[in-house]
Amino acid sequence: MKKFWLSLLSITLPASAVTFEDNDTVVLLGNTVIERAQKYGHLETAISLSAGKNNLKFRNLGWSGDTVFGTARSYFGPPKEGFDRLKSDLTELKPNVVIVCYGAVAAFDGEKGLPEFISGYETLLSMIKSSAAPREIVIVSPPPAESLGAPMPDMAKHNKRLALYSEALGDLAAKHKLRFADFFTTLGSSKGLTDNGLHFTSEGYQTASPKFVEALGLTLATGNQLQSEHARKLREATVAKNKLFFFRWRPANETYLRLFRKHEQGNNVRELPMFDPLIAEAEKEIEALKKTTLSLK
Amino acid sequence: MITRLLFTVSFTTLSAFAQRGLKDIPDPDPVKQAAAFNLPEGMEIQLVASDPMIAKPVQMNFDSQGRIWLVSSGMYPHIVPGAEENDKVLILEDTNGDGVADKRTVFADDLHIPTAVLPADGGAYVANSTEIIFLKDTDGDGKADHRRVVLSGFGTEDTHHLVHTFEQGPDGMLYFLQSIYIHSHLETPYGVRRLMGGGVWHFRPETQRAEILSKGLINPWGFIFDEHGQTFATDGAGGQGINDIFPRSVFRTSPGAQRIVDGLNPGQPKLCGLEILSGSHIPEKLRGVLIAPDFRGHRINAYRLTPEGSSYKSTRIDDFLSSSHRAFRPIDVKMGPDGALYIADWYNPIIQHGEVDFRDERRDHSRGRIWRVTFKDRPLVEKKNFSQSSIEDLVVHLLSKERVHREQARSELRTRNRGEVLAILNTWNGKLTEDFARMQFMWTYQALNHTPVGLIKSLIASDDPRYRAAALRVIYHRHEEVPGAAEIVKKAINDDNGRVRLWAVSCLAQMPGPDSVPTALQALDHPVDKTMDFALWSIVREHQEHWAPRFEAGKPVFGDKLPHLIFAMKALGKSLSLESIFTSVNNGSLTPTERKDAISVISQVGSASDLSRLLKLAPKEPAILEQLVTAAQIRKLQPKSGKEQLLPFLDSDQPAIFASAAKLAGLWKFAPARDKLVTAFTQSPAKRQAAAEGLRLFGDQETIKLFVKLSKDSPDEATRAIAVKELARIAPDRAAASAVALLQKDTAGKDEHGLFSSFLQSTRASTSLAKALKDKTLPTKIATLGLQRAGTSGRPPKDLMAALQTAGNLKPMSQQLSAAEMAKLVDRVRQEGDAHRGETIYRRTDLQCTACHAIGGVGSPIGPDLVSIGASAPVDYLITSLLNPNDKIKEGYHTTLVSEKNGNAHTGGLVSESDTEVVLRDYAGKMNRIARADIKNITISPVSMMPPGLTAGLREDQFVDLVRFLSELGKDGDFKVSAKPIIRDWKVLQPHPRTVDGMGHYGTAVFAERFEGYQWQPYGSKVGGELVPSELPKVKGRGRNTWGVARFGITQKGKVKLKINDTTLLDLFAGKKEIDLPEKGPAIIELTGNEDPEHFTLAVNSAYRQTPVLLELVTE
Repeated sequence: MKKFWLSLLSITLPASAVTFEDNDTVVLLGNTVIERAQKYGHLETAISLSAGKNNLKFRNLGWSGDTVFGTARSYFGPPKEGFDRLKSDLTELKPNVVIVCYGAVAAFDGEKGLPEFISGYETLLSMIKSSAAPREIVIVSPPPAESLGAPMPDMAKHNKRLALYSEALGDLAAKHKLRFADFFTTLGSSKGLTDNGLHFTSEGYQTASPKFVEALGLTLATGNQLQSEHARKLREATVAKNKLFFFRWRPANETYLRLFRKHEQGNNVRELPMFDPLIAEAEKEIEALKKTTLSLK
Repeated sequence: MITRLLFTVSFTTLSAFAQRGLKDIPDPDPVKQAAAFNLPEGMEIQLVASDPMIAKPVQMNFDSQGRIWLVSSGMYPHIVPGAEENDKVLILEDTNGDGVADKRTVFADDLHIPTAVLPADGGAYVANSTEIIFLKDTDGDGKADHRRVVLSGFGTEDTHHLVHTFEQGPDGMLYFLQSIYIHSHLETPYGVRRLMGGGVWHFRPETQRAEILSKGLINPWGFIFDEHGQTFATDGAGGQGINDIFPRSVFRTSPGAQRIVDGLNPGQPKLCGLEILSGSHIPEKLRGVLIAPDFRGHRINAYRLTPEGSSYKSTRIDDFLSSSHRAFRPIDVKMGPDGALYIADWYNPIIQHGEVDFRDERRDHSRGRIWRVTFKDRPLVEKKNFSQSSIEDLVVHLLSKERVHREQARSELRTRNRGEVLAILNTWNGKLTEDFARMQFMWTYQALNHTPVGLIKSLIASDDPRYRAAALRVIYHRHEEVPGAAEIVKKAINDDNGRVRLWAVSCLAQMPGPDSVPTALQALDHPVDKTMDFALWSIVREHQEHWAPRFEAGKPVFGDKLPHLIFAMKALGKSLSLESIFTSVNNGSLTPTERKDAISVISQVGSASDLSRLLKLAPKEPAILEQLVTAAQIRKLQPKSGKEQLLPFLDSDQPAIFASAAKLAGLWKFAPARDKLVTAFTQSPAKRQAAAEGLRLFGDQETIKLFVKLSKDSPDEATRAIAVKELARIAPDRAAASAVALLQKDTAGKDEHGLFSSFLQSTRASTSLAKALKDKTLPTKIATLGLQRAGTSGRPPKDLMAALQTAGNLKPMSQQLSAAEMAKLVDRVRQEGDAHRGETIYRRTDLQCTACHAIGGVGSPIGPDLVSIGASAPVDYLITSLLNPNDKIKEGYHTTLVSEKNGNAHTGGLVSESDTEVVLRDYAGKMNRIARADIKNITISPVSMMPPGLTAGLREDQFVDLVRFLSELGKDGDFKVSAKPIIRDWKVLQPHPRTVDGMGHYGTAVFAERFEGYQWQPYGSKVGGELVPSELPKVKGRGRNTWGVARFGITQKGKVKLKINDTTLLDLFAGKKEIDLPEKGPAIIELTGNEDPEHFTLAVNSAYRQTPVLLELVTE
C-alpha cells in the first residue's frame, strides 16, 4: 500500500533534468565507482560538456568501500567519525549540486539490509542539507554488476539485489522530492565495461559516462565533441586537477598532519593550502579547453 | 658548584631545528660503504647497482627472466605541492654475467610513493598509495603502456605504512601486507572487505577474490613462505622477531583485538624484509636460516626455526652481516636467480618521517644501492631465462633442487596457455613418487587455479607432517572443490602432530556448521599450547551461531566432554545454561584443574542465580570471592540471594580473603557488613587498606563522614592517608586539605600512599587539590613527583600542575633548546660522552629508565624497547625525547585515555578490549580493568606515558653520558645486544633479616631455599650481559660480607652447558642442590634446563668481588 502511494508520488514529480548554474560547485559522492572516475576523467568531462554552464567546479568525494554511513572515511575512531568527516568536507566546500551514488556495497546485504540502508540514506540527506544546503541533491542508483564467466562469479543474484536497492532509491527520491537518476536502468545489462564485475575500466567509463549523463536527464554533448582531441585534452586536464584536489582534501600522512601525531609533524599541514592556487589555475585551463571543445559542432 | 642542566625556554622553528647535525652525514661513496661491511669468514659482497642508476629502492622481486624489478621512491615521505608524481618501477639486468647490473629500464615513472612491486602475469603488480595497479608493456618497448586498477581503497594515513611487501605464494596468489595506521576498504565481487590496522591479505587475480589471512602487527615489512608452505612475517616496529602467520592469527595492535598471538622472539630488533636462505650456493649450515634486516642497526639478523607444538621455536643466531656505515639501511633481502643473496639498501641517514620532519634536509631522496652476497669457492646457481622455455621444460624445473628455479618456472607457467599447461601436468600424474615432488605439483595446479584432489589426498597421507600441513593449507582455500574435505579435516584434528592439528582448526574455521566447533575442540584432547589455544578460542567465537543456540536448546553439542564445554563457554564469555557444569562441580567428578576451570567459567558467564549457587561453594573454595568481585565490577552482576554468607569471611584472619570479602561488601552495598569493615579499618593495620576500599565502595554519607573524621583526627599517619586517598575518590573537595597536610610532611617525595593517583582520577578531584594548595608550600621532591604524575595522565590538569609548580617553587619542566644550544649539546655528546658511565646512569633506579624500558627484551614492556635506538635515532632526537617526551612518541606506544561516564579517567597503554571490558597498563605496569558498561569514550591521547623532567636532577655531564649511552645502543660495539644465549633475565633477592643468621647455619644455601618471605624483584643484565655485583641489592651475610643473590631459569630443555666467566666468590644452586664449581677462573658446567625463572640461584659476594658475572649457554 505504502509503495503504491510512493510510486504515485513519483509520477507527480516533473521528470526534468538536473539544473546547473554558472560557477556551481558540484560534489560527486559515493564509493569505488565514483572514486575511480576521478582517475579517468570521462564521467566528469561528459557531465561538464553536457551541463551547458560555465565555470563548474567538480569535487570528487568518492571513497572506495564507502556507505551512506561514511564507514570508509573514518580512520582511528568509530565509523561515525567517517560521517563527521564527510560533514566537515561538505561544510567547507558548500556545493550547489551534490550527486550521490551509494548502494553498491549495501546491496550485498540483500533485502534484510534495505531498511537500514534507506534510513541511513535519509540521515545522510538531512546532513547534506544542513551542512551545505545545496540547490540540488541527485540520488543516483548504482550500476549493474557484470557476470564475466567462470572462474569469475555469476552476479545475477547480486543484480537482483541491486535492482531492489535501485527501486528503493527511486522511492526515496520521490519521498524527499529529490531528483532520481536511474543509472542502474540507463546502463542496463552490459559486459566488458568492468574487469572485476563491479568497477569500470577506462573504456568502461567511456561507455558508461554518457548513460550516467542520460540518467541525470541532461542532453549529451555531441559525439563529435566528446570524441574530439580537445575533449581528450580536457579529460587529461581534469584528471590532473582531480589529483591536486585529492592531495588537498585526502592527503597521505593524515596521522601526522591532522590527527594524533600532529604534535610531531603537524607543521607540515601548512603545505596543504598551497594546492589551492594550483587547483584554481588548473580549473582555468579546464574552462578554456571546455569552451574550445564545445565550439565544435 | 654543580652545574645543573637547566635550559632557558626559547621558541625555535622546526625548520631551523632541522639544520643541526648536518655534518654527521656519512660519505656516500659506494667503495667506502663497501669497506664498512663486517662479513663473516668466506662471505663476499659486491655492488650490483647504485645511484644514479637507481634511487631509494623500497621493494624488489625477480622475474622469470632473472631480472630485478624494484620500486623507487624519491617522493617519500610526502608529495611537495606542485611537484609531479615521478616515482618509478625500474628493471635491472646483468647482461654479461659479472654480477653487476649493466642495463636499466624505466618501466614506469609516474607513480606516487610505490611501496611494492611483483613482476608476474605478464606485467607487474605495483602498490601505488591507495591502489594496487597492474602495469603492462603491450608493444615490447620495455615501458608500461597499459595501466589497470586491480584493487583500491587502501589507506594512506602514514606513508611508511602503505600497502606493501608483495609476495607471490606457491599457490599463485598475490600476498600483500599493510601497517598499523592503515584502514582499508576493498570492494570485491564477493562483498566489501575491510581491514583496520596491520595485516596480511591474499588475492587471486583469476577470481578477483581478496581476503584477510591475518591481522595486526605494527609494520609487517617482511613476509615469506618456507619450503613447505608455512608463512612467517617480520615487523619493522614490533620487535618480536619472527611471527608465525597462520590463518586468522591476530597480532599486537590490531584494533579491537581481545586476544593476540605473540611473536616468536620477544625483545628482538625491529626488522624490515625477510628471506629464507636456500639453494646450492648457500653453505649448508646456513640453508633454511631466516634472515631479516635490522635496518636501524645496519645489520642483517639471522634466526633458525624448529617445529614446536602447533607453532615454531625461533632461535636468534649470529648476525648474517653488519656494517658500520650509518647510511646502510637494508630493507629488503631476496634470493637471486643465481643463488646469491641480494640486499636492497634504502641508503639514508634518516629512516622515517614520524619523528623527523618531512622536509628535513638530511633526508636523502636520490641514493640507493643493491648489494649481492656470495660465498667464496662455492659455484653459483645457473641463471635461467624462463621466458623462452617450453612448457615441458618449465614443468621439469618445478622439481629443480634450486628453489629459485622452481618459483620462477611456476610463475612463468601462469602466463602460458592454461589448458596446455594442465594437460602437460596431467601426463606426470602417477610418476610422482616423492612427497616433495607431489607438493610442487599440487602448488602448481593451485597456481593455475585448479584443485588437484588426488595430490592433496596423497599428501594428507604422508608420513611427514610438513606435507600433511601443506595439503591442509590447500584445503583451507579450496575445500569446496575437494570431495571428502570434511572427513579429511575430521581425521586431521586428531593428528599426532600439533601443526597439522592447527591447520585442521584453520580449515574448520572455513567450513562453519554444527560440527565445526565440536570437531575443532577435539584438539583439546591433545597437548594444547598458546597458539592452539588461540585458534580454538577464535573458532568458538567466530562460529558461535552454529553451536551456541543448539546447546541452549539442550542438544548434547560436546557429547560427554565437559572440558570441551568449559573451554567453549569460557571462550565465548556469554551466559549459557550451566546445568551440566553445576552437576559436575557438585558430584565431585572433576579433577582439581577442571573444577577450577568450571568455577571460573560460571563466574564469567553465569546469571545472578548462578552466582548465588557459586557463593554457596565459597567456604570450601575461597578463591570464588575474587571471581565474584570481577563479576560485580566488570559484569555488574551480583548473586541473586544469600549475600549473608559473606559475613563469616569478614572475620577471616587471612588478608587476601578479607580483602576480597571487603570489596564484595562494598560492591554489593551489603549493609550488614558495614560495621565489620569499620572495625577492621580502625583496629586492624593488616586489614585497614582493604576495609577502607570496601567502605569507599559503599560511597554513602556515613562513609564520607567517617573518612573525613579519620583523615583529620586519627593519630596514625597511615590511617589518615588511607582515609584521604579513599575519600578523594568519592568526595575530593573534603579530602583535599588533609591531603595537602600529608604531602607537606612527605620530604622523601615518594607518595607511598598513592595520594596523587586518587586526585588524578577526575577533573573534580584534581581541581579540589589545586584549590587546597593555594598559598601552601610543598617540599620540592613531592611537588616534582606530583607534576610528573599529572603531566603523564591522559588529560593533564593544568590547574593542579600550576598549583604544584607554585607550591613546590619549581622551574617549568618543558625544556626547549635553541638550535645553537642543541648543536652545542650534540657536540658535547660526541666529544665527551662516555657510554659506559652512561649505562650506569641509565640503570640508576631513581631515574626510572628501567622501570619502563627494556633493552633486547630484558626489562619492562611498558615503553619501547631501546635495543637499537642509537642506531636509528639521531642524537638530537634522543635529547628531545628525554627533555620533552611528548614531542616524540613511538608507534604503538601512544597512551589511551578511557573516560568513564562518572567523570573518572584512566590512562595507559591499551592491552586488550572486549565487549565487556577494556584493559590498560598504567605507568607502573599495573593492569587496570574497566567495565565497558562504565565507559563513555576511548581516545588516543597525544600525551606520552614518559614523564617530562626525569633527567632534571642530572648534572650536565651525566646527561651527556646518558645520551651517549643511548646513542650507542644497537651500533656495532659494546652496546649491541648480541645473539648469544646469555642469561639476562634475573630476579634478585631484596635484603631480608633472616639471611644474617641463616648464613651462619647453612651458608649460601639459605638463598636457594623456597622461603615465602623472600622478595624477588625482576632485574636485567647490562647490555653486554654482565651482572655487576656492586649494583645488586646488598643482602647481609656474616660480618662485613654482603651478597648479591639472583635467580634465573633456562628455557632450553634437557642437558645444557653453562659457561661462567669467573667463579671467584660465587655459588650456584639448581633448585636446592649446590653445583660444584672450581674456586676461581672460568668454568663450563653441565645442567638440566628448567624454565622456572626461580629454579637456579646464584649468590655472589658483593663485598669482595668486583668482577662482573657473565653466564652463557654453550651451543654445539
